[in-house]
Amino acid sequence: MNLLPHIDDYFMGQLPDEMKNEFESKISQDPVFAEEVAFYLSAKNILLTDAIKERKERFAGIYQQYKGTQKTAKSSGIIRKLWPYVAAAAILGALLIGLNTWLKPVPVKQMADQYVKEHFQTLSVTMGGKEDSLQTGRRLYNEGKLNDALAQFESIMNRDTSSGEAKKLAGIVALHLGQYNKALKYFEELENYPGLRVNPGKFYQAITLMERGQSGDKELAKQLLIKVEEENLEGKKQAREWLKKF
Amino acid sequence: MSFDQKPQSSADLDIISSLVHGGIDRKKAEESLFTRYAYFIEQAMHKYSFLEEDAFDIYSDTILSAIPKIIDQSFQGRSSLKTWLFQIFHNKCVDFIRKKTTNKNSVNKTIDIPGVLIQMPDAAKTIIQEMTEKTDRELIKQKLNELGENCKKILWQWAEGYSDKEIAAALEYKTADVVKTSRLRCLEKLRQLYKSVKE
Repeated sequence: MNLLPHIDDYFMGQLPDEMKNEFESKISQDPVFAEEVAFYLSAKNILLTDAIKERKERFAGIYQQYKGTQKTAKSSGIIRKLWPYVAAAAILGALLIGLNTWLKPVPVKQMADQYVKEHFQTLSVTMGGKEDSLQTGRRLYNEGKLNDALAQFESIMNRDTSSGEAKKLAGIVALHLGQYNKALKYFEELENYPGLRVNPGKFYQAITLMERGQSGDKELAKQLLIKVEEENLEGKKQAREWLKKF
Repeated sequence: MSFDQKPQSSADLDIISSLVHGGIDRKKAEESLFTRYAYFIEQAMHKYSFLEEDAFDIYSDTILSAIPKIIDQSFQGRSSLKTWLFQIFHNKCVDFIRKKTTNKNSVNKTIDIPGVLIQMPDAAKTIIQEMTEKTDRELIKQKLNELGENCKKILWQWAEGYSDKEIAAALEYKTADVVKTSRLRCLEKLRQLYKSVKE
């Protein structure tokens, strides 16, 4: 006989009082019945242990989620609390960066590079007798044959020491080749070359010094640029702009 | 609400109401209750220098012991839910420390069978206690694993104190009567599996 429904009714409080008393008496009188009751309660207890274990595992999952949200809440709370300071620091940082950018002198080499790139990328080809040789040099230069171009301009200089244009172009090619000492020599000679309506010698020396960047070159370049500006020489406008950034 | 009742916060009232009324919201209410005061865990870790694992176990036990008390309305709201829970939690923390120092750590033990025997006369109670001690618990556990998943789910819920009506709602049975029939059938199956070895 299946006694479980009857046992279940007792523990679920579904037995009337008289049957309850009968149930309790039977435990004392009937060992088989008592054993069935013990099984029912033991099984329920074991199931409860299992259920609690399962529920704890569920709680553990919820707790992990809770910890995750707390972590986020804490960090966002900290950020919220610190927000005015963070904002102030960000503004200050931005101002400092801006000021730094605004006030920080642009490296002089960078300025010189930019000028060389814009003005010495190609050489304009001119026509004429003497200019034919210069034209060859310019063509070689424009073709990227810098050493040939330099040799060409130096050849013209040797043939015609009065050729200021050859000196200027030789200096430009030497500058382009990174032969700064040679370039400086040519531009210095150019500066002192008489009879030129427009003489960029001093200005080009300044550019060369800016490109070379040896110790003291920057200061020398600055002095040359000041002179260019003061003496109203070729390159005056550019010299004024650069001097603001030196 | 009587004069000696403490006003509860609306969130606590929602949890209490969902637990008392049962149904499908009960599980959700249990989880909400757990989450709502989960910060007790961190407090215990700091206050008592507990390991997180121990603090979690104690807090879980607190919630698990509080839920039936809320359901059967043993918690009468004389203090706030928080104060009442914290008192249980604190007592369990103290128990844990004491048991730890006396090297008898059994804070995680489950509800004892004698708890459900309170209603019985002493003579019957003694007999049942003696018989349950003789029951082969390991064998029952082993045989429980031979039951199908549906049986286990329904029996777990019953053991946790869910009514047949609540189990019907949670596990999508048609009626509470169907649950009762299924539950007793599963229990009988378990008994037969157990007896088949014992006899």
